[in-house]
Amino acid sequence: MNRVLLFFVLTTLLVGCRKLDKNNFEGPSLSDTYGPFTVLQDLNVGNYEVDFSTGQKVVFNMELSKNTNWVIRIEGENSGAVRTITGNDRTLSLQNAVWTGGANKYPSFNLEKAYITITFPNEEGSPIITDSVLITGLKQDQGYLITSFENGISSTWQQFNQSTVQGNINCDANQAAKGSCFYSWNGTVGWDWAIGSVTVKPSSGTFNLPASANNLFFNLAFKAIQNVGPQNSFLLFWFDEDDNGDGVFDPNTEDRFKMEYWSNTMDWDLISKKYADLKYDNQGAVQETNGNGLTEPSKLISINVFFLANPAGGNAKAYADHLIFTVNEPYQP
Amino acid sequence: MKHFTTLILVLLLTHNFWSQDRKFQVNGAARGYLFAQKMLIDDALDTINAPRANYGHTLVDLGFSIFPNSSTEIISNFRIRNEFGGFWGGGVSFNVRQLTLNGVAGKVVKYNLGDIDVKMTPYTLYNFQEEGIVNEAEVFALRRQIVHYDMFYLPENTWRMQGAQIAFGLKFNKFLKAIEFKGFLTRQRPTNGISIPERLYGGGMVTWKQNENLQFAYNNINLFDLKETINDSIRYSNNVHSGSMKYSRPINKTLKWGLDAEAGFSNVKYSNYQSPLAPEKQNDWFYDASFNLEDKKSKIKTTIGYKDVGANFFSPGAQTKRVDFNKFPAVFQQYTNAAVGRNVTIADMMNFNAGYSYQISEQLMAYNAAYNNVNPYGIATPNRRGVYLNMEQKDSLKFKKSFVQVAQMFESRGSGTNVKKAFTSIAAGMTLGINDFFKWKREILVNFGIRHDLTSRGGEVYEKVKLSSTLIDAGLSFRLVGKLDLLLGAKYFTAKGNEFITERTVFNTVNNFLPTTIDLSETTYAAGFRYKFSEKNQLLLNYQLHQIKNNVPAGINYGISQFNILYSLNF
Repeated sequence: MNRVLLFFVLTTLLVGCRKLDKNNFEGPSLSDTYGPFTVLQDLNVGNYEVDFSTGQKVVFNMELSKNTNWVIRIEGENSGAVRTITGNDRTLSLQNAVWTGGANKYPSFNLEKAYITITFPNEEGSPIITDSVLITGLKQDQGYLITSFENGISSTWQQFNQSTVQGNINCDANQAAKGSCFYSWNGTVGWDWAIGSVTVKPSSGTFNLPASANNLFFNLAFKAIQNVGPQNSFLLFWFDEDDNGDGVFDPNTEDRFKMEYWSNTMDWDLISKKYADLKYDNQGAVQETNGNGLTEPSKLISINVFFLANPAGGNAKAYADHLIFTVNEPYQP
Repeated sequence: MKHFTTLILVLLLTHNFWSQDRKFQVNGAARGYLFAQKMLIDDALDTINAPRANYGHTLVDLGFSIFPNSSTEIISNFRIRNEFGGFWGGGVSFNVRQLTLNGVAGKVVKYNLGDIDVKMTPYTLYNFQEEGIVNEAEVFALRRQIVHYDMFYLPENTWRMQGAQIAFGLKFNKFLKAIEFKGFLTRQRPTNGISIPERLYGGGMVTWKQNENLQFAYNNINLFDLKETINDSIRYSNNVHSGSMKYSRPINKTLKWGLDAEAGFSNVKYSNYQSPLAPEKQNDWFYDASFNLEDKKSKIKTTIGYKDVGANFFSPGAQTKRVDFNKFPAVFQQYTNAAVGRNVTIADMMNFNAGYSYQISEQLMAYNAAYNNVNPYGIATPNRRGVYLNMEQKDSLKFKKSFVQVAQMFESRGSGTNVKKAFTSIAAGMTLGINDFFKWKREILVNFGIRHDLTSRGGEVYEKVKLSSTLIDAGLSFRLVGKLDLLLGAKYFTAKGNEFITERTVFNTVNNFLPTTIDLSETTYAAGFRYKFSEKNQLLLNYQLHQIKNNVPAGINYGISQFNILYSLNF
């Protein structure tokens, strides 16, 4: 009998020592979902001057009382460039709230003051946190920059403008997609769609692009300002390849891949296309070319950017900027 | 079909001849059930759903026991059901309700093949009672018996499965009295050959009987997917081990005390699941120990115990609910002009309108916190620890039955917060033979039961919980004349407060808490007449009125009236 009791007591004691899960609970925190919202640690962005060109970053450090959605909005004082970072966490830190100098889309940030606003959309009556940083260096682009129109018209380039059109490089940091300058067309051509073009060429030979077309992206910033719309104006690109390597493009024997981009909005658009896809036209059909029919970026010898607009649409105006090739992904403004 | 009918007729005609040699027995049940139901709801609230639902059926369950030899029995049970409104075979269905082969091999091993009823311990395999009952009136119980009979929910809390089980024992002259072995293996689910593997469920018990007073048992049960039944290699397995002990010792001629204990653990594995929500494994344990005192004279047994069931203790056989609260009732599934799905009510559970379980569920099923928040998954409800006290008096001279049950439980792990919920449950009931008191010949049976539950949690304003509910059952059975009884019954249920309803993934992990306000009352009244042709043969005419008041904003008040005729015969 005593042994039975002893067994019973020992068993009870043995299994009765369950760890009290005082700081461990099932499921999501109720505090996160239904608890009050407060900022436990104010925003700290570290350096108030940031040189992105040297790899510096802006890290947003902040601690909240609960997991909740937050939105960090950074806006350039002059460029109007905008970058937003969103998340759902109790803490903002290097893990989830870092700005490396990029924008969501064109325009890009310039050397300017950037205003920071942090909001909490799910927290009614929550404070709006503000701060600012000064950009002293722009982020370095990854890719093959052809031109950002910052250094004027190259002697190897060719320009065409109708007699009533002004087509040239303009410089105004507040209007450029990137940097200070951009290419501009402005004029009324009542008799023809052609407005003007600029043919960008390397100083010699090819652009020295990599050979693989499958992971190379062509990128250009484009902004239609007047005569805008998918029926009214577009850019026509010619990508000319020197298939035989003689340093001269012959349209009768070599590949010219064409691409159209019709305007949609009056904002800066990022035109981005995988080089390998240039062999297809806008309808998805394989283009007929006079060369070997292969998209070979290493043989690219010139890019013609041609602005066309509906003659019935009145004055046509558009900007182009920052022609760059990137690897593996489209350009990140 | 013709062959089947011929076979039945031949068997019936030859019944007497064979039964003399005990080669053959026929038993069964028959019933006729007719309903006329009406939805009682404000006309402005519902103009699109038909307010009446009338239906009925007659059925016969023909059971045959065949004894081909002295150690073998073949049991079969065929159901022929005819829905009212169908003629010349329309609406008639034939089903095999049971096919079982029982026997004893070598006069040692008992075996059952086919449809078997299995049960182990309350923490391994146990079919616990559904919600909404606390010593209910006979007029309700008669209806519920139909549900339990059809779903094979036997009073022994078994689950009906398909498979095989064996049992054998060894008796000893020295050191110990006996060792008994029991085991079963059932098929829970066939594979679809593509994405769902075949699932089996098997278990066993080894019981060591030291003497008349002391016994130990080892229990093990497994729910698992069979390997290589699909090309994909996902596999689920749930393994529960437990050890149990029973000890009893007389104090004197009338008093006896005892100890009961069970402790064990569960182990769940989700192998090769692609979902990022799938935990690799879930382990947890439980124990339940109680002391009891039994007075043979007064027939009162008192039990006091303590249990602790881990939050990740998952035992599908012990935690599968009888009623699936995710399913809409069979009658008046939708109501209001918005065609809102109607929730299962206490009356639906009684009237065979709810969705009932016939298989073990590896997922913790949805439950209604208003009806039972203390032990929604039975005794083995995970994440509960605390004390309980049960007092029960079996049939005595004064009381047919009486009981008191008290439980004070707590979460062992908080739900979304470190502050833990407390659960209090108090239930009491009695069935009284008034005629026994006054020594009347005419039987008057009164029954009464009450259960009050309270869930509470303190802490910050946003995490506070307070939910109370009360269920009252009352009934009267009065012999009017001859074999005619008047049956009266009432159920009253009310629940008020707030709770965070736990939402789980298919892997039983908690992924959300839904704040819910409850302000609900349900009343069910029933009155009827029963004519008992014999103990096994009766006719019941019954009117029932069920009303729900849902006082939360946008809550719908409605009622359902029902008239039904039930004729039942067991033979």
